[in-house]
Amino acid sequence: MSHADTVAEIRDLRVEIDGRAIVDGVDLQVLPGKVTALVGASGSGKTTTGLALLGEYPPGARVTGDVRLTEGGLVGYVPQHPAAVLNPARRVGALLHDIARPQARHLPRTERRTAARARVLQAMLDAQLPDAEALLRRHPHQLSGGQQQRVVLAQALLLGARVIVADEPTTGQDALTKSRIVDQLAAVAARGIAVVLLSHDLDVVQALADEVLVMRAGRVVESGPVERLWLSPRHEWTRRLLEAHDAAPREEASAGQPVLEVRNMTAVHDRTTVLRAPHLTLNSGECLAVVGRSGSGKTTLARCLAGLHRDHDGEVLLDGTALPHSLRHRSRAQLAAVQYVFQDARAAFDEHRPVVAQVARTAVRLRGAAEQAATDEALTTLARLGLTDDMAHRRPAELSGGELQRAALARALLAHPRVLICDEITSGLDTVTRRGILDLLAGLVRDRGGLSLVLITHDQETARLAHRVVVVDAGELVEQGSARWVLEAGTGLRT
Amino acid sequence: MTVGGLRSFVARRLLLGAAQTVAVVLLVFALTEALPGDAAVALAGDQPDPARIAAIREAMHLDRPWYERLGDWAAGLPQGDFGTSLTSGRPVGQYIADGFGPTLLLAALTLALLVPAGFGLGVLAARHEGRLVDRLVSSVTLAVYAVPEFALGVLLVTVLALKLAWLPPTAVGYGTDLLAHPAALVLPVLVLLSRPVCSLSRLVRAGMVDALASPYAAHARRYGVPGARVRYTHALPNALAPAAQQLARTVDWLLCGVIVVEALFVIPGLGTVLLNAVAERDVPVVQGLAVVFGVLTVVLNLGADVVAHRLTPRAAVAA
Repeated sequence: MSHADTVAEIRDLRVEIDGRAIVDGVDLQVLPGKVTALVGASGSGKTTTGLALLGEYPPGARVTGDVRLTEGGLVGYVPQHPAAVLNPARRVGALLHDIARPQARHLPRTERRTAARARVLQAMLDAQLPDAEALLRRHPHQLSGGQQQRVVLAQALLLGARVIVADEPTTGQDALTKSRIVDQLAAVAARGIAVVLLSHDLDVVQALADEVLVMRAGRVVESGPVERLWLSPRHEWTRRLLEAHDAAPREEASAGQPVLEVRNMTAVHDRTTVLRAPHLTLNSGECLAVVGRSGSGKTTLARCLAGLHRDHDGEVLLDGTALPHSLRHRSRAQLAAVQYVFQDARAAFDEHRPVVAQVARTAVRLRGAAEQAATDEALTTLARLGLTDDMAHRRPAELSGGELQRAALARALLAHPRVLICDEITSGLDTVTRRGILDLLAGLVRDRGGLSLVLITHDQETARLAHRVVVVDAGELVEQGSARWVLEAGTGLRT
Repeated sequence: MTVGGLRSFVARRLLLGAAQTVAVVLLVFALTEALPGDAAVALAGDQPDPARIAAIREAMHLDRPWYERLGDWAAGLPQGDFGTSLTSGRPVGQYIADGFGPTLLLAALTLALLVPAGFGLGVLAARHEGRLVDRLVSSVTLAVYAVPEFALGVLLVTVLALKLAWLPPTAVGYGTDLLAHPAALVLPVLVLLSRPVCSLSRLVRAGMVDALASPYAAHARRYGVPGARVRYTHALPNALAPAAQQLARTVDWLLCGVIVVEALFVIPGLGTVLLNAVAERDVPVVQGLAVVFGVLTVVLNLGADVVAHRLTPRAAVAA
């Protein structure tokens, strides 16, 4: 089905690294003004396919097949982390002006500067960045995440790109930001630019895409218009992907004794109050979700509980005894009792040592376990969380994000904690991996009698796992209640 | 907040610099006080007769309590009055002014060659990372860095001045007007240049290798920005911050007593003044020099911090 007006086309692309195919026999047609979505788990070859349109391949890759662009067809790229492609030492306007300058070269020398400037300002406007003059003078770190993304988009528009590859543009964003990004990309497509969307966020794909290609292990397993795919998926993998997306909420469980109690907490950052929590309890065997937008103070709450943020004047009681505010003053038993799993699992591991050694270390440090016993326990725990012996002996760089997050959970569990705090641990993961981690957490609460879970999240689907939900908004606990009640009737989550 | 942020940062650093300067002045005074004996004992020299020492003490007002002397000395400093030399009776300020000329000349010349050479070599090596040019630059700079100045100085004098007689071995007889005899400056500048060039180029290379491999450099190339422009206007600013700090340390070193090199080539700069003052136990001169060196160090580091702040705007958020 070759169209006359395709702006870019991939035919039978195969990308191999060390004899292993990461993309295998992919065909892709990109049409002007249409959004083509590549969906699939992380590692399915979406990004490699997307970057192939830019003529970029992983180092050491063997490439066969055809990537063709129309005459003068420039391709723009909006990566998953826009901050990474913005130069931290230069003002935002620097690269934009460098892109615009050659475009004004045909003009007389005196007019070039003003013409280039005008083009830059127009591109900023097209990318829905008002107050462009001021923004151009800022450094990237002075922009919000959304503004950074729009600046990167403005670069692509200024370039005159006919195709824009957007890699996971909504990952880790709250609902409000997500809908803004969707509008933005729809506006880009409306200008006649082809958008290639690489995403595992099925809500966004459904809202935006015209064509969808479902990828698995480097191959396209199914493709078609989005409506057809959603209503009658033909391939078993597509069906699983869609099912994982609308999984059923958990049943409520009975509450046990309070393990952790917060009283009169007011947390400050540089003399600004960022969180007020007059009273909050966590019962034994309970799963509590703390939900709210980014910047609402939910992570501060978690960090206060764990002793990572000590600028607060309240009390955190563990089994009725007050915990010292700072981690440094807590005893080993107290440290072991409250464990924290971070959002970025990769940053939480030492890249030079095998994962199992780092996991076992917790038992040695916090419980005084013998080296060998600790390693054995680490291997069993890792195996139960789905990491084989072989994977456990690898270094962090050789594991995927989802696998590392499982290892991070195993590491926390080796302390035999009473309370496990999970800070956005699923937000960088694709739907299937996320479902796996969530099922794992549910299993932990069920099987490990007495383990309590605190889930920090902005994702309603994750929050459904909890027995109880606390909504944090602008530093205040605005609602507490059973998960069903808050998520369905509550007002706090409407964003 | 860009301009306001920089301004308040500079204001904060200036206050800190002032506090550091006061601390230097107090420390220098305290350390000279702590020395066994005092200027009177040193001056009495061969005739340590207690009565004579007491007389000298009285004449020099050394018998007054320490806080009065500190007050007098410190009050004179802002007006450039560093006291008078014990051995010659000339004002200390005169000593410093005389020695500063040759030192400044050497430092300026060295710096003028150091910056292009250091950055040029660093960028060149980073551009050819892992290839012959890089390995050559990296190993030669490491080797040269490992040679101490006095050894290199002696070597160069032996070969270029004594054996080949291309250049004068020392600046003896030229006084402080060294600019009139450029040949006498070649060897000292070469020796001064040798190690800073190595450390600077290695730092720039490391920073540039990271910056050139960064996603933002790849992004600029992707959008058709020419290679040289990516290197110098997009990658280099990210490699500059550590280099700027290193440069400040080097300038500090150049201005505050390149004692070995000045002694080796007999250049009448600040290092020589310091060396002579120490040999003659001329405490006020040593004190004056210590204050000047301390203040220079504070000012140069302040400058380097402002430059680094400008180059790594993100760091200021955490600081």
